[in-house]
Amino acid sequence: MRSAAALVLLIAATLAVVFGGRGAKASESSAYKIIVNPANPAGSLDRKFVEDAFLKKVTTWPDGSVIHPVDLPASSSVRRRFSEDVLERSVDGVRVYWQQRIFAGRDLPPPELENDAEVVKYVLKYDGAIGYVSEGSGSSPSKVVAVTR
Amino acid sequence: VACSIAAVALGPSEAAADAGDPSSPSAIQIHGFASQGAFVTTRNDYLVSGSTKGSFQLSEVGINFTDNITEKLRAGIQLFAQDFGINGNYGIEADWFYLDYRFADWLGFRAGRLKLPFGLYNEVNDVDAARVPILLPQSVYPLQNRQFLFAQTGFEIYGFARSSWAGALDYRLFAGTISLDPLALRQPGANYQAFIDVPYMTGGRVMWETPLDGLRLGGSLEALELDSTITNLMMKNLPSMGQVNDVAQLYVGSVEYAHDDLLLAAEYSRWHTRQTGDLVPPNESESERMYGMITYRVAHWLQPGAYYSLYFPYTKNRWGNDPTVRCESNVIISPKSACWQQDVALTLRFDVTPNWLIKVEGHFMDGTAAVSSPLKPGSPPTDPPKDWEALFAKTTVYF
Repeated sequence: MRSAAALVLLIAATLAVVFGGRGAKASESSAYKIIVNPANPAGSLDRKFVEDAFLKKVTTWPDGSVIHPVDLPASSSVRRRFSEDVLERSVDGVRVYWQQRIFAGRDLPPPELENDAEVVKYVLKYDGAIGYVSEGSGSSPSKVVAVTR
Repeated sequence: VACSIAAVALGPSEAAADAGDPSSPSAIQIHGFASQGAFVTTRNDYLVSGSTKGSFQLSEVGINFTDNITEKLRAGIQLFAQDFGINGNYGIEADWFYLDYRFADWLGFRAGRLKLPFGLYNEVNDVDAARVPILLPQSVYPLQNRQFLFAQTGFEIYGFARSSWAGALDYRLFAGTISLDPLALRQPGANYQAFIDVPYMTGGRVMWETPLDGLRLGGSLEALELDSTITNLMMKNLPSMGQVNDVAQLYVGSVEYAHDDLLLAAEYSRWHTRQTGDLVPPNESESERMYGMITYRVAHWLQPGAYYSLYFPYTKNRWGNDPTVRCESNVIISPKSACWQQDVALTLRFDVTPNWLIKVEGHFMDGTAAVSSPLKPGSPPTDPPKDWEALFAKTTVYF
């Protein structure tokens, strides 16, 4: 059995080298901007606050209203860039975080919408919403906020 | 359970306009998973009877429903069935259910059957998709003690607060009780019947997210009391019926560091028990448990992991050198190797698709502590081999 386990490890290591790579890092073209509802008074947000909001560790804005984060699909390069920059973890890492929360009965992940236009629509619909879209997309009349570190 | 089901079924009252929109914050969400595993051990049966011949008794299936009734009030329920040794046999149970009201980020309140926040990973002990190993380190998360560690029925307060310079604190405090199945607690070879009442179970966990990104430190405590009415079926020199009182305190200290695709975790735990009663002489014991684990996402679809786990059932006799301290109850002669368990585990997790995974895992074991367990009825082995191995494979789909 020891040799069987060693063989499994060897095969996996070989596969990882041959087909490996965690996927290309998000490129400049997948730059993003963070948007909120126009009624939101925030002009800039601390990165940690945005991270806590998307992981639902904090659920309210400073004025007490409820935060409604919204995501792009897991396959989106814009989401990958946002996840690495702001959440400081990979999209896969975020998925595992939510599996732990979902099945322990703690919380649910933000909704995943198909594209930038859907995210803008969502942000305009809910006063407490926060989302991100690709840098070049039209996000008006939602409000773009800067992230400080 | 009825309150949670009703709350989920009735749905949100204030967001009726959003009904049917799955992205609405108030939409009912449904998630589920199904796992099937198989394993084989060499020389010693482990976790289930007959595992040296191979076993498929490693199945779990669960589905949960969560409803944000209002922006601050939420209800949820998870139905769960498993087949694992003498546990489950696919009987459906309410895994957890709750009503949750969040007054503020630093103060929330829950009532229902709630998973226990004990250490880093106790809450995902049944959730294969939420971790790399198939078996979490059995020193700190023993499946044979699942009834004590899984969930309590009662209340919990919780909260999260971040400081601009000191990181963040995440706390959870709980109090309630548990229902125990005496059959699932009875040591192999023991001959008695018991009715067990748990007057209280209480404890909590505090996790500190340090200012160093990705580093978390934490401590957990669980305290409980068991009042058992026992009918003695074996010992002629003892009363036929009596009371036994057990008081236990479980502690664990945790550290976890996550950076990019690397995860390092280590935990150290002690469990202290004191037993008094008509049928047993007063006694106290303490066990010691620890592990270190590393996982790394090599590729999008591949995540290897490894851990070293160490368990001493009795701190007074860590390596079995004191013949006056038996490391296994309910046997005439306790083998020296029953005083410890060392486990080196290697895991490969393959994420075939975003909703389907396969794992394989090898264990290289030294020592036979926990080889004899309530999960495996029948007479305990008299002279189990000290060195042995286990190989697991498991697949899970989830959504």
